Amino acid sequence: MTKKVLLKYSAEKTKEPILASIIKETGTLLNILHAEVSAEGGEILLAIDAPDAEVNQIIKLFEQRGIETKELKRAIQLDEEKCFDCGACISLCPTGALRLTDDYSVELDEDKCIYCEICVPSCPVRALKISKF
Amino acid sequence: MEKYKYQYLQHFFKFGGIELTKTKVNKSIAEINDRIKRGDAVVVTAEEMVEIVRERGEVEAAKEVDIVTTGTFGAMCSSGAWLNFGHADPPIKMQRVWLNDVEAYSGVAAVDAYIGATQLSETRDFEYGGGHVIEDLVRGKEIKVKAIAYGTDCYPRKELETIVTKDDLNQAVLCNPRSAYQRYVAATNSRDETIYTYMGTLLPNYSNVTYSGSGALSPLHNDPNYETIGVGTRIFLGGAQGYIFWEGTQHAPTKAMGTIMTIGNLKEMDARYIRGATIEGYGTSLYVGLGIPIPIINERVAKTTGISDEEIRVDLTDYGVPRRERPILKEVTYAELKSGRVEVEGKEVPVSPLSSLKQAREIAGILKNWIEDKKFFLAQTVEGLSTDQVFKPIKQIAAAPVAKDLMTREVVTARPSDSITSAAKIFAKRNFDHLPIVDEKGKLVGIVTSWNIAVAVGTGKRKLSEILTSKVIVASEDEPIDAIARKFETHRISGVPVVGTGGELRGILTSEDLSKLIGRRRR
Repeated sequence: MTKKVLLKYSAEKTKEPILASIIKETGTLLNILHAEVSAEGGEILLAIDAPDAEVNQIIKLFEQRGIETKELKRAIQLDEEKCFDCGACISLCPTGALRLTDDYSVELDEDKCIYCEICVPSCPVRALKISKF
Repeated sequence: MEKYKYQYLQHFFKFGGIELTKTKVNKSIAEINDRIKRGDAVVVTAEEMVEIVRERGEVEAAKEVDIVTTGTFGAMCSSGAWLNFGHADPPIKMQRVWLNDVEAYSGVAAVDAYIGATQLSETRDFEYGGGHVIEDLVRGKEIKVKAIAYGTDCYPRKELETIVTKDDLNQAVLCNPRSAYQRYVAATNSRDETIYTYMGTLLPNYSNVTYSGSGALSPLHNDPNYETIGVGTRIFLGGAQGYIFWEGTQHAPTKAMGTIMTIGNLKEMDARYIRGATIEGYGTSLYVGLGIPIPIINERVAKTTGISDEEIRVDLTDYGVPRRERPILKEVTYAELKSGRVEVEGKEVPVSPLSSLKQAREIAGILKNWIEDKKFFLAQTVEGLSTDQVFKPIKQIAAAPVAKDLMTREVVTARPSDSITSAAKIFAKRNFDHLPIVDEKGKLVGIVTSWNIAVAVGTGKRKLSEILTSKVIVASEDEPIDAIARKFETHRISGVPVVGTGGELRGILTSEDLSKLIGRRRR
């Protein structure tokens, strides 16, 4: 399963090519879901699709280079009993995690979700839920 | 009634010109019903009909097809239900009545009430409203009823509290003043902030588009001349068989925005097609499933049922402007909208349908099955629908005030290069809180408040350019006061500079100016 790891950069760490060097070193593809980095530091959200041991190794490498990491343990649920495929959520989703299929069903790809929660109140029948665990 | 008879005749007279040339195919409703009875009526959905007409032409299509089914499943805010509770002992003449804390209209005799879809709960705000009460009734759930009255000799009781389900009610009738808009505008937002509208959540700077309606499956768009649709037409309504009983409110046939009034037995409906809804920042509504069977009486009707998503155009409208006449950016087709992406102001943005296209298709399919299974027969209309009714705005005896009516024109301003101390002196001399900062051409570049000055003095800043807020919430001269009051509320501010189209400062408007005007209004 894809794990999502949030990296927190302090101001001085933004000058080093840490992400690139870890990709090069491990050869693991790290998918950047969301990034907000300025001169004052910032955050990058990664999706890592690899076995647990490899993910743990990558987290360790970031920690060794002075990056604070946090594994995001959240889940988004689409209650298919409640959802009637109106698609109100579709155009609000910034990553395309929510989309309409060819037969106009709403489909959720949890791997793409960055838990921004904009979809949650937009659902007219409260079929979308984000839970923390 | 006379007026309608006249319109009906006029309507046929209009088609009479065409009838003189004779349609090649002519079928009556009775003939088509006979075919349904015999089990050999040919029924297709409006989506299937597009291909049939395109391939074979309308004459062959009219010979072959007897009925085209349509469907839509969208938020229909102008919906509600009439309920009759029966009499209590001792009896009560309900003056006000609440169902699960949602007030229903009871200004009709004794124990009748109308629960409207957009009425909000008095305890749960936007999370629950009349639409949800209607869905809960359909689901057979228990509803808490509370009524009060003033008491009379014949109805002495003053209070009543009880719990009912739909089975306990004498009548529960869905009765919608406006259903099934023929088509509806698409929405986007020019403002630099997200807005919450009945057209859903609209992201800043034209970043998404929403629309409603089922396009080629749209019930009224498949017979836009109302040649077969009228008073008495039997329809699919909320999973049961219902009827059209009049033109809908705001019916605007000349703008291809016709509507219908619909009625049906709520007790027979299915909660899959009647859903209470919360529209963020707007309120509650009711999603209603509706389908109309269009009898193919001749090739003219075959042709209109052959309409495709590519041919149905709507205005892409800027909901960022809170006026009755909203700016139109361009025309888009339902085909573009259904593709999921539309180009707005040079960028391609995602689209949300708001009404369920999947369930619209499902409803057209169910209606087709009902007819094929001989469970549904066509009804002969008893009156036509108006084809020339115009949707007028409300008659206002006084125009709503706009910014330029109330703003202060003599505004004290400063330049970015001015010192903090000079600004502090201005604030000390005059009693106001907002100091607009302008450049040499009089264009607004920022704002400084008395609070900013106090902080600046404390932290040793020198020039206004160091402390001014450059992202200023502004108003235009023609902006309605109601919209500006809302800006004050949302942004928690107490004043706005009023600017011209080039950003030049024209005046200033503060909450004090507004309070003079709106102080007497209820929140």
